[in-house]
Amino acid sequence: MANFLIKRALMLPLVIIGITFLLFSLTNLLPPEMRASLYAQSQKEMTPETLKEIIRLHKLDAPLIIQYSEWLKNILKGEFGYSQSANMEVTKAIKAYLPATLELTLLSIIPIFFLGTWLGVLSAVKKNSFIDHLTRAGAISSYSLPTFVFGLLLLMIFYGGFGIFSPGRYSIYSDAIIHSGNFRQFTGLLTIDALLNGNFRVFLDVLSHIFLPASVLCLGSVALLIRITRTSMLEELNKDYVRVARAKGLKENYIINFHVKRNALIPVITLVSLQFVRLLGGVVITETVFDYPGIGSWGVKAAQQLDLAGVMGFALMTAILFVLGNTIADILYALVDPRIRYE
Amino acid sequence: MEPLLKIKNLSLYIEKRGKKTKILRNISYNLYPSQTLAVVGESGSGKTLSALSIMNLLPKNAQTEGEILYKGKNLLSFSQEKMRQLRGNKISMVFQEPMTSLNPVLTIGRQISETITTHKKISRKKAIEKSANLLKRVGLSDAERRLNDYPHNFSGGMRQRVMIAISMACLPEIIIADEPTTALDVTVQAQILNLFSKLRKENEMSLILITHNMAIVSQYADFVVVFYGGMIMEKGPCEKIFASPLHPYTKALLDSLPGIGRRKIKLTTIEGMPPNFEEETGGCPFYPRCKFAFEKCAKNLPPEFEVETDRRVRCWLLTAEKCRDVRKSFDNYL
Repeated sequence: MANFLIKRALMLPLVIIGITFLLFSLTNLLPPEMRASLYAQSQKEMTPETLKEIIRLHKLDAPLIIQYSEWLKNILKGEFGYSQSANMEVTKAIKAYLPATLELTLLSIIPIFFLGTWLGVLSAVKKNSFIDHLTRAGAISSYSLPTFVFGLLLLMIFYGGFGIFSPGRYSIYSDAIIHSGNFRQFTGLLTIDALLNGNFRVFLDVLSHIFLPASVLCLGSVALLIRITRTSMLEELNKDYVRVARAKGLKENYIINFHVKRNALIPVITLVSLQFVRLLGGVVITETVFDYPGIGSWGVKAAQQLDLAGVMGFALMTAILFVLGNTIADILYALVDPRIRYE
Repeated sequence: MEPLLKIKNLSLYIEKRGKKTKILRNISYNLYPSQTLAVVGESGSGKTLSALSIMNLLPKNAQTEGEILYKGKNLLSFSQEKMRQLRGNKISMVFQEPMTSLNPVLTIGRQISETITTHKKISRKKAIEKSANLLKRVGLSDAERRLNDYPHNFSGGMRQRVMIAISMACLPEIIIADEPTTALDVTVQAQILNLFSKLRKENEMSLILITHNMAIVSQYADFVVVFYGGMIMEKGPCEKIFASPLHPYTKALLDSLPGIGRRKIKLTTIEGMPPNFEEETGGCPFYPRCKFAFEKCAKNLPPEFEVETDRRVRCWLLTAEKCRDVRKSFDNYL
């Protein structure tokens, strides 16, 4: 296992070099003036004169490979350039937007996992029962409902109708507290920070803001997870070892929970980790509907405004997250399935 | 002696798309304490389903009729929970496929010990100790260490030994072995069967050995039940069946057995295919493939004729009066 982790850690830079090289070659189709923003560190540097200076300094007229190594050097120094769309440096933009997205992702992926596997297992064990049909019908209809329709519907009912679960990340009240200086941001995840600060009111406020977007994300993915879990469970339930377990006189609940589920959840791990990474990469529509300041909206804004530094930073971040997510999935595999040993 | 297990007129139906097919037809046999009873027959003759009915592990679309009396109590009327307490505890089963019978993600130790902790009031630690003992008894060296191994660390023969250890875990009175060696190579077959026979003697258990291998039957069984088309064609003590098979099907099975020092060089095969359960002819199911069949066989199902005590044969050839000629040719053939 240690070997595997070291190997994966060594692979990471290679993967990132591959991705960045691909991205960089694509950006090279743009004129040098536009690419110069990759090296600017503030809005002040965005004048034509300084940009010309940057072109000269960073050899933006030189062949691709030289340019790429120049850029890579900058990246390694931690200089990702200035994001015009966010009005700040790329690193700062990621720091500002990623925690909000991470919080939203965590608060949706946990219910997605538990709800999805629970309903999927239930549906498989009680195959063709009323509960199975209900779950499957619910899964299909929620899956076919567009995110923004469901999001707006929820917003209309709860915010429009009852005035609860307002959009945004927190209320003005919490905003004042969070930025007051007494509020220490340990993790950037406001729910956890609020609890660590002992401020229960901010905690509830943040939670009430995140509730609707998390529900929307949850609904979309839970349906998929139910289907995968159900299929996987049904497949496992037909295997010989289940009949053997019954022949041993084990209780049916025990067989489901300790024999079948452990096997059936192996493919589910892949799906959940992929969903996790996908959500982390930003969920633009949900963020837009609920006015949630996540990383997805920034990525889209950067692309629309031809903010090259922003797009590159966003792409790089997503790539790293993707590789990390897959590594975590592989580790989980090895923990669940003894046949998988990473030597 | 009272039989331990008495199967009385057991019939089994499978329902598929609203159509009911009779798979087992009026099966009756007795299993006595410390006896090895062999159930023989071709694939699809209903051997496995008859065993699964004893365990009450039939598929959901199966229906049973008749009685399976275990110590005088009808297992078919038992509740699911009562049956569960019996399974693995008093009656256990070893299946055909050792490669897929064990759960790939649980350790061997867990899979043996959970049977013990389910049925006996015993601590998990004690159960693990017992499991190590069981592994030793089925001939696995280094048992304590192997408890922490997973099924994929074992070969097919070793997995079947583990399965035997599991079936023995609660010292049951009856073990049903459903073609336990079919998936294994010949040298391992002998080891596994000798192990069964040794453990059966040591613990005074009864064994129902389901097989299609007549060589195995002759070596290990006390009593033989021959299945064909979901019916019992012939049953009797092993020596008698091998010495003088009375049913043409039994005879044909024995003829298709290779042997050293046999005069016939070419092995005989039974022509034709096993019967289709969906068409009921009313006659003997073996009729289309029987060398000695005559008109009566096509129309009327023969009853079980009692030839001696303990020996019953379902064949019209035994009513010698009306068909002396056919009978004669069969006797000559023997």
